[in-house]
Amino acid sequence: MILTVVRISLLRMYHNRAELLLTFVVPLIFFSIFAWIFGSRESDGGTPRIKIAVVDLVQTEVSTQIVDNLHEVRSLRFLGEQPSGQAVTASGDETTADKPLLRSEKTAEDWVRRGLVTTAILLKPTEKPMETTSTSLNIKAEILADSYDQVAPQIISSIVQKSLAAASQSVIQSAAEQRQRAALQTADYSVAANPNSNLAMDSASLASANFPIQTSELMPSVEIRDVLGANKVNPVVAMYAAGIAVMFSLFSATTASGSLLEERENMTLERLLCSQLSIDQLLMGKWLYLTCLGITQITLMFVWGWLVFGVDLISHLGGFAIMTLVTSAAAASFALMLATLCKSRIQLGWVSTIVILVMSALGGSMVPRYLMSESVQHVGMFTFNAWALEGYSKVFWRELSIRDLNLELAVLLTSSFVMLIAARLFAVRWERT
Amino acid sequence: MQDTSTAAGPEPVQPSTDSIVALSVENVQKSFGKQTALCGASFSVVQGQRVALLGPNGAGKTTLVRSICGRLKIDRGQILMFGQPIGEAGVLDRLGVVPQELAIYGDLTARENLQIFGRLHGIRGSELKDRVAWALEWVGLSDRGNHLTKTFSGGMKRRVNIACGVLHSPGLLLLDEPTVGVDPQSRQRIFDMLDELIEFGTTVVLTTHHLDEAQSRCDRIVIVDHGRVIADGTLEELIEETIGDQKHLELLIDSMQSDAIDGLIYDSVSSSYRTTIRSTQHELPMLLRQIADCGGELLDMHMHRSDLHQVFLHLTGRELRE
Repeated sequence: MILTVVRISLLRMYHNRAELLLTFVVPLIFFSIFAWIFGSRESDGGTPRIKIAVVDLVQTEVSTQIVDNLHEVRSLRFLGEQPSGQAVTASGDETTADKPLLRSEKTAEDWVRRGLVTTAILLKPTEKPMETTSTSLNIKAEILADSYDQVAPQIISSIVQKSLAAASQSVIQSAAEQRQRAALQTADYSVAANPNSNLAMDSASLASANFPIQTSELMPSVEIRDVLGANKVNPVVAMYAAGIAVMFSLFSATTASGSLLEERENMTLERLLCSQLSIDQLLMGKWLYLTCLGITQITLMFVWGWLVFGVDLISHLGGFAIMTLVTSAAAASFALMLATLCKSRIQLGWVSTIVILVMSALGGSMVPRYLMSESVQHVGMFTFNAWALEGYSKVFWRELSIRDLNLELAVLLTSSFVMLIAARLFAVRWERT
Repeated sequence: MQDTSTAAGPEPVQPSTDSIVALSVENVQKSFGKQTALCGASFSVVQGQRVALLGPNGAGKTTLVRSICGRLKIDRGQILMFGQPIGEAGVLDRLGVVPQELAIYGDLTARENLQIFGRLHGIRGSELKDRVAWALEWVGLSDRGNHLTKTFSGGMKRRVNIACGVLHSPGLLLLDEPTVGVDPQSRQRIFDMLDELIEFGTTVVLTTHHLDEAQSRCDRIVIVDHGRVIADGTLEELIEETIGDQKHLELLIDSMQSDAIDGLIYDSVSSSYRTTIRSTQHELPMLLRQIADCGGELLDMHMHRSDLHQVFLHLTGRELRE
């Protein structure tokens, strides 16, 4: 009897293609996709390159050497501006003179704030030069960090520290050699003038010329300054709220859009279309509902974040409102497109689950995109999660104006429009035939 | 106080000597690829009539119904509703459609369902409120108006399904299998409801698999097969035109050889003999005498007139559900 029950279950699964796919094929697809997203760093040659900019306010031979040394580090990608102000990326073949640099601290801070670079390195002269200028760098480094990426500033800090230490060691070495030579000259003069003088003192002088400076005293200073997160209360939570809210707005929208297929299956759609309702009105009605649903859902998420986790919603209401509106509209169009494309609710269920999870993984709803390889980050830009999160990041993290959201708004609105048109075209089969 | 059920219900239609054609289907042709679904179907329905549309599965009934609803573009011919082509603006507003499936929202209450379908037919405000109240009373669900329809019995759901189609007082009501899967009491209730509508002048066209419903509840019967109308008329007309007014006899005879009398067919399933006669006065005594002459003893006899079942079999060569 038990074996008969097993046989029934096996036969049912054998005859159910969707169940077979979900049980055996979909997990493999998911595994492959996630392995590609998070495991492709090795094939890309290591960790993703960190976008940085350098401002050399010292402009000495030593500081130039430090910049050159930094350019040797393969994990960094240098961005700078041409004299015309146009942003450029270092190709790696530049000479010292044409390496991309930024010219002012203000520009560097602006670039970090706008997300053009993850960090900016400022090479500044020390405020209080050491007495023996020949034995110190007189350079301090300040790292302007975007602490949303919590890994990059630490990596940059250690690279800069190493680079400055190397330069410092070189200066110390050079100073020591100079002193040694000077001490030797002094000793020569003394011996020549007074052959019976205290040689022991001169020996001590020579000894001190070899190790005249404690390296710890001359260790160049590297400071990390959080440009964006310094005065914020729990700012990263806003990004998590956005990531989760966008992903779940997609799930909710596709689930709700399944009502269209349910209506088709139980002939309610036929009845609706026998009334004064046209297919255009039906789709627009559904789209409007799904958009409102998304707005409510995302708003609820952020209000919860504001009340419980201190997300600064009130100061960013304008940007939040426009991003939420556009994101919800795009999610609604996406859901309608899937619903009109699929033949049944079951099909919609598993297609939407796969697509949304992949989009969310690639688009940064699950894991921040800066942790992904560059190629995966590029692919992620084809998901609207990435654009939505970028928009929310500009609002809550970078505190940019609504005008700075133009690109994100344009991409989301265009994709929303295109997907809505696609949904309309797919729905042609339900029209009068 | 005025009775809202009457006030909000369909307006009574004054009897007229001129018969208005509510629906006219003229030489309608429709193909899906190489498959021809309708090849010149024609029939018409006069206002206030109740017409049954019959046909075996695959005969083209559904295509015809969908064409009348405007959900299919016909290849040739035309469909007129109250004298106007159905493609013209506003014409289909006079049509009420009740699909075979329970095309209502189970997770809404009966009242909410009615309100929604009323709105979709352009009814608003107090008029909508009155009509919903009338419809709930009409289907006998006034006390269950605020209950979710998914909690209803099959018969109750079907009544709500019908109510959603008549809320806007259509001149022509098209019902696809309105009584499928419901118990006899609910069937009776549904036909009583339709009787009320017909009293007010609504024209009803329904498809059914219950021949007894078509026979006893409809004024006219239209039989469709192979994409065309093969018979159209009252039951009497159909009988007259096809098999004639015969009497069907079923005889239980003992001690007689099965092929002893010409025209008497032995049915091994019921162990009885069957035959048809036209005259009970002349043919029946003669038949009984023949049986006695052959040594047979008549144990039992049933006689009934020709009915729709025989007409249908005669015309299509198939049972209705084949």
